[in-house]
Amino acid sequence: MSAPPPSGTFSMSSEAEHLQRLRQWLRTELERLGVDRPTQAALVLAVGELCANSIEHAYEGRGGEPIHVSVRGFDDRLLIEVEDFGRAFDPARYVEPDLGTVPDHGLGIHLVRRIADSVSIDVRRERGTRWTLVKYRPGHGPAAGSTEGGARSAR
Amino acid sequence: MDIDVTRSAEITVVAPRGDLDLAAAEQMKRTLTDVIDGGSRKVLVDLAMVGYIDSSGMGSLVAAMKHARASGGDLRLCALQDDVRAIFEMTRLIKAITIHGSRTEALGAWA
Repeated sequence: MSAPPPSGTFSMSSEAEHLQRLRQWLRTELERLGVDRPTQAALVLAVGELCANSIEHAYEGRGGEPIHVSVRGFDDRLLIEVEDFGRAFDPARYVEPDLGTVPDHGLGIHLVRRIADSVSIDVRRERGTRWTLVKYRPGHGPAAGSTEGGARSAR
Repeated sequence: MDIDVTRSAEITVVAPRGDLDLAAAEQMKRTLTDVIDGGSRKVLVDLAMVGYIDSSGMGSLVAAMKHARASGGDLRLCALQDDVRAIFEMTRLIKAITIHGSRTEALGAWA
């Protein structure tokens, strides 16, 4: 069995001003991994939404708290993890936004689920949330949702 | 973020410059609220210089659009870059907000 490919990692503290630096780093990583431009843009958005969720909800606006992002590229897929150590995301309390009502909030997780081929949430931790996104490379799949380890699927 | 506001007799054009994300959304919402509360009934947001928008940024535009409509006016968008347009399509907001190709087209169509 071959060793997993090395991952790029990025750490930031929980201020919204750092999101731009995260996006720059992620674009560079995805370019290095040969990801096409539209998929780069979509994944940058998805990861940005998860980090914004950590800032706003897991840390409730508190600065100076850690958020870690890692990206690994396999032949058939990309695997991205976003991790915080604040209040855990509760999938049971998540309600899909009703797009017919033109909502002005609550669209972030909806976008993440639209963009990734699978989204899983580690709920076995003592603190915080680890999100794992899988995006298959073109021609690979299936796109059906999956869970990893003991994590719960968000879709 | 830099936000240019240009008032004319009929239409107020608001042109943000930079990424419209969580860090900028509150400033954007405040600017648009001030414009609407100041009496502008037709508000055009020119997104030509916005290369990235997230759900917080979209939320600031949607909230302002609802405020404008509740005040008897409207808020429209113009000049969306491809990545920004893709997000409006993904959330179906493209059906709820009037979007013009360019500022010139918007000003001509709405005046």
